[in-house]
Amino acid sequence: MTAIYSCDTLNGSTDPLNSSEIIDYAAKLPGVSAVWLPSDISLTDPEQVSKKIQKNNIKRIVIAGNNAGMHKSFFSRAMVLAGNNPGDIILASFLEYGASHKNEVERAKAIVACAVYGVPFENAAVPEDLPLNPATLVIGGGIAGIQASLEIAASKNIVYLVEKSATIGGHMAMFDKTFPTLDCAACILTPKMVEIGQHEYIKLMTYSEVQEVKGVPGNYTVKILKKARRINPDTCTGCGTCAEKCPPKKPSEFDANTTLRRAAYIPFPQAVPNKYLIDASICTYLINGKCGACVKLCPVPGCINLDEKDEVVEINVGNIIIATGFKTFNATKFGQFGYGKYPNVLTSIELERLINAAGPTGGKIAKRVQDKKGNWVFTHESVYTPKSVAIIHCIGSRDVNYNKYCSKVCCMYSLKLAHLLKEKLPESEINEYYIDIRAYGKGYEEFYNRIKKEGVNIVRGRPAKVEQYGDELIVRCEDIEGKRIIEQKVDMVILAVGTEPRTDSAKIAEMLGITVDTYGWFKEFNYISDPVNTFSGGIAIAGACQGPKDIPDTVAQASAAASRVLQSIARNKIKNGIKSLSLEQIETKAKELSQILQE
Amino acid sequence: MSQRVNLNLKNELFLYGAKDWNQCFQCGNCTATCHTTENGFFFPRKTVRQVLMGLKKSLQINIDPWLCTYCGDCSKTCPRDANPAEMMMSIRRYLISVYDWTGISKLLYKSKKLEVASIFLLATIVMILYLLFTTFPSGAAARWIGPDGGALINKMAPWRRIHLGDWIMAAGLITLIVTNVFYMWYKIIYEDKSLKLGFIDYLRPISLLPKIFHPDKKYAKCDEKKLFLYWSLHLFLALSYALMFTIIVFFLGWFQTDNVYPIYHPQRFLGYISTIGLFVGIIYFYTNRTIKNMENSKYSHFTDWTFLILLFSTTLTGILLHFFRILGWPQLTYITYLLHLMVLVPMLTIEVPFSKWSHMIHRPFSLYFAYLKKLAIINHKIILNNCT
Repeated sequence: MTAIYSCDTLNGSTDPLNSSEIIDYAAKLPGVSAVWLPSDISLTDPEQVSKKIQKNNIKRIVIAGNNAGMHKSFFSRAMVLAGNNPGDIILASFLEYGASHKNEVERAKAIVACAVYGVPFENAAVPEDLPLNPATLVIGGGIAGIQASLEIAASKNIVYLVEKSATIGGHMAMFDKTFPTLDCAACILTPKMVEIGQHEYIKLMTYSEVQEVKGVPGNYTVKILKKARRINPDTCTGCGTCAEKCPPKKPSEFDANTTLRRAAYIPFPQAVPNKYLIDASICTYLINGKCGACVKLCPVPGCINLDEKDEVVEINVGNIIIATGFKTFNATKFGQFGYGKYPNVLTSIELERLINAAGPTGGKIAKRVQDKKGNWVFTHESVYTPKSVAIIHCIGSRDVNYNKYCSKVCCMYSLKLAHLLKEKLPESEINEYYIDIRAYGKGYEEFYNRIKKEGVNIVRGRPAKVEQYGDELIVRCEDIEGKRIIEQKVDMVILAVGTEPRTDSAKIAEMLGITVDTYGWFKEFNYISDPVNTFSGGIAIAGACQGPKDIPDTVAQASAAASRVLQSIARNKIKNGIKSLSLEQIETKAKELSQILQE
Repeated sequence: MSQRVNLNLKNELFLYGAKDWNQCFQCGNCTATCHTTENGFFFPRKTVRQVLMGLKKSLQINIDPWLCTYCGDCSKTCPRDANPAEMMMSIRRYLISVYDWTGISKLLYKSKKLEVASIFLLATIVMILYLLFTTFPSGAAARWIGPDGGALINKMAPWRRIHLGDWIMAAGLITLIVTNVFYMWYKIIYEDKSLKLGFIDYLRPISLLPKIFHPDKKYAKCDEKKLFLYWSLHLFLALSYALMFTIIVFFLGWFQTDNVYPIYHPQRFLGYISTIGLFVGIIYFYTNRTIKNMENSKYSHFTDWTFLILLFSTTLTGILLHFFRILGWPQLTYITYLLHLMVLVPMLTIEVPFSKWSHMIHRPFSLYFAYLKKLAIINHKIILNNCT
């Protein structure tokens, strides 16, 4: 006889997996004689449970729930006390087999059924094969998208790379150096970007967005909105004449809002494609109907067409890789550190641009000043040498008021920024305030020790506030190891902002029929054993859209996603997603298998 | 200072209203946010550390919870929702029971039933004492009713007898308070051998006296604007209470009278002012604790409620007694008088030495001791090293 222990009913009523529906279903399965809830069992007293086991003559126990594994040791003990085989405990872990989808209750039922029949879930739930279109769509042109595209295109299969902004490169193109090797980020990335632009099997679609996805794995029809660039990329030579008379108006996205860009612009000099475009939202001609200076100046006749309209193209692909990446935490939410109020409080991504030789000040540290029109920017005139700089860790990470999770990269990039600042300003004092230093991984701890030796003042303690008196910023903090309260005068404060899912991640997930977790990160099939697949076959995820990740991990996952796609191309068939299977299908298969097992 | 780790300390503190502080990851945010933190006094982080590590001895001589003004800034910005501010209050309750050498406080804090039972027991004792010591008039005709039909309180409860009772109770309570404070001094200052204080050092903090008896202005400076209202109403309540206390303990003969004075007479308007002060304060704190919109009233231990309820009933019976007397309803007046005594006595006996109200003694003396410690640091360059 089998007993089922449902371990999660106490977790809160909002989780649909706690519904009594699953318990009722489980009670009707063959061989099930008892269903126990957490309220029936005291998890501190194995003897009481062993008596229960003996009384009901129970031979097997199925533990069902999100944290099924946590209770295994307790029930093993109870089984031993009852004189049974502790090996006859079967876990029905909802998390592991992905009962976290729209049909999650159905899936949970299937998982319990498989456990009761004694059949591994992955053997009972085998989706059918479908024919495959070998073309692939990669959404997002950051390092993950670039890597995945290159890997697939190397096997001479068509890849459509769709990028929302005007250039590929993503966040990595904005960074100055990479940790822990201190390699120049652009030196690693730019060759790959150029390769994408020139590859004959990669169809690059920048300034485009995926609008609609229809179809089944192996044969998706995707509608892509190509936003009007208003400058023909085929004839544009990238000379920049159009931008000469165009007034700077809008904070540059690529320079993390540290400087202004024009309506006719190129995101950065190494952009791929290296062509200019016109931003309709700030173009004087499109707003007032007067101007058109760029059309007159352009040396190529007919290249600029200010009245160009957006168009929608339709493509057919077999696989989709999502590599949409992350966004940085909005530091204005953190009122006590004065970001947005005090000009010399910067986020880490702003410093990353400021310190970059191709940045707004050519790599010199500058003050944030107001230009004539009142925009806060960094200019060549405002270059100065701060005597003291504070770097504050964990902004918006590991904080119940914002994001509970650790953003994984902030400790390391803060140490890297401390090194870069020390390099640029050898006379200045660099202070780091941390809660815990998380220097995980190859060469990271060594990097931390190196930074410590370089004379960076690393203080354990989370600052409470930053206040400005005159020109000075004051950071108030407890130095836990030094047993004192610090009120440090600094000239510049850097907030090490955490990573967050993109705001439109829920929209993309809905469009593609995949799930997001409570924060908005895309949900993988199985975090440990299958981190690139999703429950819809034919859709893989790569990079920081799945969760906070550093560059090496992102690249590794992008290659893994590519291998997943290439596997289906090599087989010329693709497995349907596990979500296409219904409860009855899995149940029937499990019954069959259990009969074979018994024979 | 070496000491034994007490793993049960955390569980013990749960009974005093503590929350689970395993959440705390020792980031030091609370200490840095706190406007009362100075070098040498790193609360609340250090206190949480003592609790988590089970350093009972360190916790018992910890002055920090008494310096806390409970503005709630630390709880608001705590990245782990560990509620450091509420923790300071729970430890205050714990410390009250530590300083109370009789051990009664410990029992009352830990058991709701015992607290209620002792209130009723004391009320019954008061009633019995009253019945024993009062002299009933003979004959139905003379029911202590004055010539004009009004009540004759001084016939029913002659003020000299009540005053005598007053003084006996006051003597008992003062003995308890003084011994508790002495025990506190013994634990915090005397036993800490690193503090070398001369006799003259004890006299130095005289300048502290005026602000010592009320949460100081730092409190109102806190981020939340509402706190100014909180601070002023607390002051109003405390002053009203002090006024009523002075009148009853020192001028009962003048206050408890059978004459009905005009309204501008101090006997009447002083009474009204202090009643208003008490009511406004009680209602404000009561609503705060029910609405829970401020950090400092989010969590309530049952003793917080008992205190408010007892104070409210005392004030209510007191003012009703006054109105019944003026309206000339003798029977109601006498019943209310007895009821008034029956709530007043338990309130004073339980709350003042053993419960929430002892903060009016412990807090000023903690400020004093903290000042002495600071003096010792300055004088002898001692590093306060009594905990991690």
